[in-house]
Amino acid sequence: MIEIHLYGKLRRFTDTLDPKRESTLLVPAYEGDTIRDIIERIGMPMDEVGSNIFLNGEYSHPSRPVKDGDRLGIFPDDMQLLYKWHFKKEG
Amino acid sequence: MSNLKAKEEKAPEEVKNMGGRWLTDHIVCDEVDPLCNPLGPNNKVVFAPGIVTGTDAPSSGRISVGGKSPLTGGIKEANAGTAFSQKIARLGYKAIVVEGLPKEKKLWLLKIDKDGAEFLPADEWTGKGLHEVFPLLFNKFGENVGISAIGVAGERLMSSAGICFNDIDNRPSRYAGRGGLGAVLGSKGLKFIVVDDKGAKGVEIVDKDAFKKGTKKLTEALTTHDITKPGGSLNTYGTAVLVNIMNEAGGYPTRNFSEGRFEGAAATSGEAIHDICNERGGAGKTGHPCHPGCIIQCSNVYPRPDGTEHVSCIEYESDWAFGANCGIDDLDAIADLIWLSNDYGLDTIEAGGTIAVAMEAQLAEFGDGPKAIELMKEIGEGTPLGHVLGSGAATTGKVFGVVRVPGVKGQNMPAYEPRAVKGIGMVYATSTMGADHTAGYTIAPEILGVGGEADPLDADKAALARGFQEATAFIDSTGYCLFIAFAVLDIPEGLEGTVESCNGVLGTDWTTDDIARIGREVLDKELEFNKAAGFTKAHDRLPEFMKYEKLPPHNTVFDVPDEELDKVHRG
Repeated sequence: MIEIHLYGKLRRFTDTLDPKRESTLLVPAYEGDTIRDIIERIGMPMDEVGSNIFLNGEYSHPSRPVKDGDRLGIFPDDMQLLYKWHFKKEG
Repeated sequence: MSNLKAKEEKAPEEVKNMGGRWLTDHIVCDEVDPLCNPLGPNNKVVFAPGIVTGTDAPSSGRISVGGKSPLTGGIKEANAGTAFSQKIARLGYKAIVVEGLPKEKKLWLLKIDKDGAEFLPADEWTGKGLHEVFPLLFNKFGENVGISAIGVAGERLMSSAGICFNDIDNRPSRYAGRGGLGAVLGSKGLKFIVVDDKGAKGVEIVDKDAFKKGTKKLTEALTTHDITKPGGSLNTYGTAVLVNIMNEAGGYPTRNFSEGRFEGAAATSGEAIHDICNERGGAGKTGHPCHPGCIIQCSNVYPRPDGTEHVSCIEYESDWAFGANCGIDDLDAIADLIWLSNDYGLDTIEAGGTIAVAMEAQLAEFGDGPKAIELMKEIGEGTPLGHVLGSGAATTGKVFGVVRVPGVKGQNMPAYEPRAVKGIGMVYATSTMGADHTAGYTIAPEILGVGGEADPLDADKAALARGFQEATAFIDSTGYCLFIAFAVLDIPEGLEGTVESCNGVLGTDWTTDDIARIGREVLDKELEFNKAAGFTKAHDRLPEFMKYEKLPPHNTVFDVPDEELDKVHRG
């Protein structure tokens, strides 16, 4: 199973809507699954998912593979702060 | 302050294009002996609005305050968003330089308006909390003045004393907090500066078209980017939106930097603050601007259960400093601690970090909100223990024999764990300011790129830490809030607009290529000062415990080699 932690409007996919508590759910993972597969299995629309996705505390792209026992944290598109910055480097 | 005279001087040609941190650094480096005692006669405190401050450029009401820090012993620039800065700029002042020591131990108020400046005795407002004093001052001088103040912590020369400014509703809540500059003003006997810009001529804009074009591009970037736009992450949840994010990333320092995840994160998150503001109603508010003209509006007013105002503002760093870092998961207790900090005139980051070190020293249990409040009150009452705590985390650690003191150059770390986010660790280590998150916000690119197609940034870490410190030094000089960086480092037109609006005010022809040049100039000055003050590369290191204590949940140590750290500024 994968332990999923959801935030903001994505909490509606769990039983806990109270933002002062953890909203989690357990989802089975199969061989070859990626984060995107898990998101689709929950029935969560990809366009509500922001860029702040964490697999075991590591910022991750939806194409990253998952395995049994992982922790997956997903923030909605209106709750992201870490961002892919394009900083012009010197030289 | 030695003869209580205010003298107006024409700004020399060489500082014509400078503002904010660039200008405070320039004056401090030119006029302050790096070896001086920070509380002695030869230190100075410089206030400077940014280049575009006082105009209608969006989110540009920052004030930079500079001097030699009693906390770090190096150069300091701390900044805040406040109408005080806009008023100084509109009166035509590029900077206010406070120097000398008063002959008698007494505190003063400097009143500035279009006709000049005068000193008034501050006795009747001395020794009191700033929440009591601010309404009295606005009552006396008018609701439209701007105020700079020190609290009892500054009066008592404590090195975690900040400088407080009024927010948009005239609360004592906007802080140039870090580095103890409030104590330097205390040593000079300058308790308040009150500025009235009635009848001011306003900020001269040399090229109005360029200015208009630039601010339009910047506004467009700020109002469309997911992080800064109305209804975006910052506007909706405030900076504390980061609580859950950093916690999920395993980089949220918990119980004095002993863990990277806090079980009380959700209960103290930006989402929880937003929910409580809505649920309790009344004075509760998110999307609150710190100064007029801010379009990001990431501040908040936190309500009590009955809807009356408790405190403004619970922002990420303050929330964390008194929350996760002290193991406290109760927002109402955190609100009390922030209120006390604002009342005494303390830097919330240093104060919270100090309470956490005191908890490590078993002066209180981690998670004990009421006991944390008692410790804070020791500072407010000026007891001997209060003086120790008011001197910051490093001093407190030394007094009580604590090894786990998470600071650099004597300044306690803010709310990002360097063992989980190594890029910010490099900034903490090499910043001229001591451990400082705003010196270069490398959080995002560092966490990025650890899987899938998330495009790892290929820049070496030293170049990244350098680049961000330079961009930050430039933004700190413009008067814009550092949070414009979220949008303008992502939207090229926004960055162009930022530079063009400066060109508009100054009549310069800078391009975005000048950002790194100006940022470098600012940093080089700071490095030069610190070197002369006795800093070597041995000071550009994280505390030793981070090299051998593994931080859960990632179970990593800070393993960036010293040579990499040395390349940041000398690479």
